[in-house]
Amino acid sequence: MTSRGSQSHDGQVRRKAHVCAGCADLTDSGPTTRYARRALLRAAVFDSPVFDGHEHEFWAHRPPRAATVVTGVLAEVTPQAIVVSRPDGAQFIALSPSTVTWLGAKVSPSALRAGDRVILRRRMQRLISGGPPAGVPGARDPGARDPAASIAERIWARIGRVAGEIMQVRGRELTVDTGQHGREPERVVIAEASLRHVQVRFPRLTPGYLIDVIGTRRDDGCLLAVTPATAQPPYLAAHPPAPPPAGAYSGGPISGAAVWHEPGDESADLVGVGYAALDPETEGEAADPGDPAHQHEPCARLPYLSLGSAVRVRNECADRAAVLPVTSCSASARQFCDRCVKCGTSPRARVADLTMAAFVELGGNLEDGCFNATLTLAG
Amino acid sequence: MGGAGVLAVAREVQIPLLAVLLIGGCAAKARRALGARSIDAGIGPTAMFPFRLQRPAAITIVVSEFALGVGLLVTAGRLGAGEPANAVRVVTALLFLTAAAVLGDLRTRRPDAGCGCFGDVSSTPVGWRTITRAALLGAAAVASLGVPPLRSLGSPDWLGEALAVTAAELALLAALSPEIGEMMVRLGRAEPCELRRVPVAKTLDKLWASASWRRYHRYLITTTPTDVWREGCWRFAVFPGILASRRVEVVFAVYMSGRHAPIRAGVIDIDTPPATSPSSRYSSLTVYRKSAILKNKINISSNGPG
Repeated sequence: MTSRGSQSHDGQVRRKAHVCAGCADLTDSGPTTRYARRALLRAAVFDSPVFDGHEHEFWAHRPPRAATVVTGVLAEVTPQAIVVSRPDGAQFIALSPSTVTWLGAKVSPSALRAGDRVILRRRMQRLISGGPPAGVPGARDPGARDPAASIAERIWARIGRVAGEIMQVRGRELTVDTGQHGREPERVVIAEASLRHVQVRFPRLTPGYLIDVIGTRRDDGCLLAVTPATAQPPYLAAHPPAPPPAGAYSGGPISGAAVWHEPGDESADLVGVGYAALDPETEGEAADPGDPAHQHEPCARLPYLSLGSAVRVRNECADRAAVLPVTSCSASARQFCDRCVKCGTSPRARVADLTMAAFVELGGNLEDGCFNATLTLAG
Repeated sequence: MGGAGVLAVAREVQIPLLAVLLIGGCAAKARRALGARSIDAGIGPTAMFPFRLQRPAAITIVVSEFALGVGLLVTAGRLGAGEPANAVRVVTALLFLTAAAVLGDLRTRRPDAGCGCFGDVSSTPVGWRTITRAALLGAAAVASLGVPPLRSLGSPDWLGEALAVTAAELALLAALSPEIGEMMVRLGRAEPCELRRVPVAKTLDKLWASASWRRYHRYLITTTPTDVWREGCWRFAVFPGILASRRVEVVFAVYMSGRHAPIRAGVIDIDTPPATSPSSRYSSLTVYRKSAILKNKINISSNGPG
């Protein structure tokens, strides 16, 4: 890293901050079903249709999946279509001239390579003749059951995101603590062509400060950062701003920014919300009183919820809303107190840290990093 | 003046009192709707309507309250005396008595919903106090039937008695209003219960002292809950049990604010297999546009086991 106006602290290391006590065991795939069952049990008491009257009875069996989002690994790329390999089989997705492909930047679909992890938003289009084109090996197209085909609207390949406290800086390489208990720090390399852009939004690339960048995942797991996701908070990670007084909470919808996070231990298909105010009494081990861990409060007044609680998230920019389960504890929502300016200026707070599938399903574009959102308790 | 005189004054006082309560309630609901940018936000009874009717229902409630409040004031004097005045008072009585019935139903079907009577401060779950208050206000409207046109300024005796009756009635209404406690919390900047840390032990103590526990604990296998979680002001605790030779789970919902806060219970039969209708093979994530009242349900196939 050059020393043009930025502070270089090569080799300095910050002690790992512990942001979210008990968050380690909250993203196991096993408990997902258990926490989905909570919605069913809740409905037994209140007899209320939490999910607009339909969905709660199936949550006991499996969490919801998005309809317009497909995740998987590219098996084949042709000029007209791609084949995405998934655990339940391959999916054939047609390409159109309006398909937007992102691989570090907007690129042509020809830049995609087999083996790339992808997430895409599709639309269904009725075919005149029905059925997929012949000659694509291994494709099992659900659209063959009815005369419609999946057409990719937007494809993101190898997209990743890292948000957290900078622990170590070595030139353009950073080590970032995402605040998830028990998870190893992430390695981030800022792409040389993007360095100036990142430094404009994150002038203090020094240990102790926060960073949130989006980029592409390399084969070694490192994130090649190409775009900042937000502006750098002016405060040190260990000293976030105090939340507003409790009287500011009115019980109504809470506005702020909705961001997204990578699956990590979660399923790539998972549709859910990471939440900043999980009940500390029941949703994780109580912090050791002697542990100098930093327990951050989110900078918006959020009601305490638990895994499996249903929240209604509305994308104000795309005029789309959905009822989603709380599926994880969000460390970034506790650390960051920023606005989203995708459409208008949102209040300061990350009210929802969506899974990638939920973010895309609600009409968000992953490279934007956020959309203006309103959160309401459902039910 | 004797008892008959006090009664006459009491009947007269109901008209402005009811009008103020109606207009105040309407204003509070409107304020909440503006804050939430949603007309049906927080008006409890609308939760029982189908989604498409919630907005018209909310608008009807707010408009009715405003119209009746203004109507009571306009017909209180010589203008509109007689039949028009009685008509407004009859409709007012019907409104409150219907509200009492609806709140009673709401308490059963949506025990987590507040009445929304006075906007934000009416978020406490509906209890017998709220229902009694609505019934009393209906009775007050009935009592005002046939009251002659009000004088703009009565004698000092009349004024004194009117003030005393008003104060007594307001005290009674305050005793029946959970909103007073909620306002004290907000004014005192005390934390609303949604934001307050509450130890699990405190919740369980409250549960064990409750009538719901006394009713169900004989069916429980253990008094140690298998799961405890929280949503806002409600904490849930699940216990395994046996009921009529079937394995069940008994779930208790404890409201974590107020001494006489409700505790609800529900029982789920574990041994009953889940529904196997074709629709149960599908998961659906309902994504809808708020600008359109219709929901676009998107049904997708399940992703296999687990």
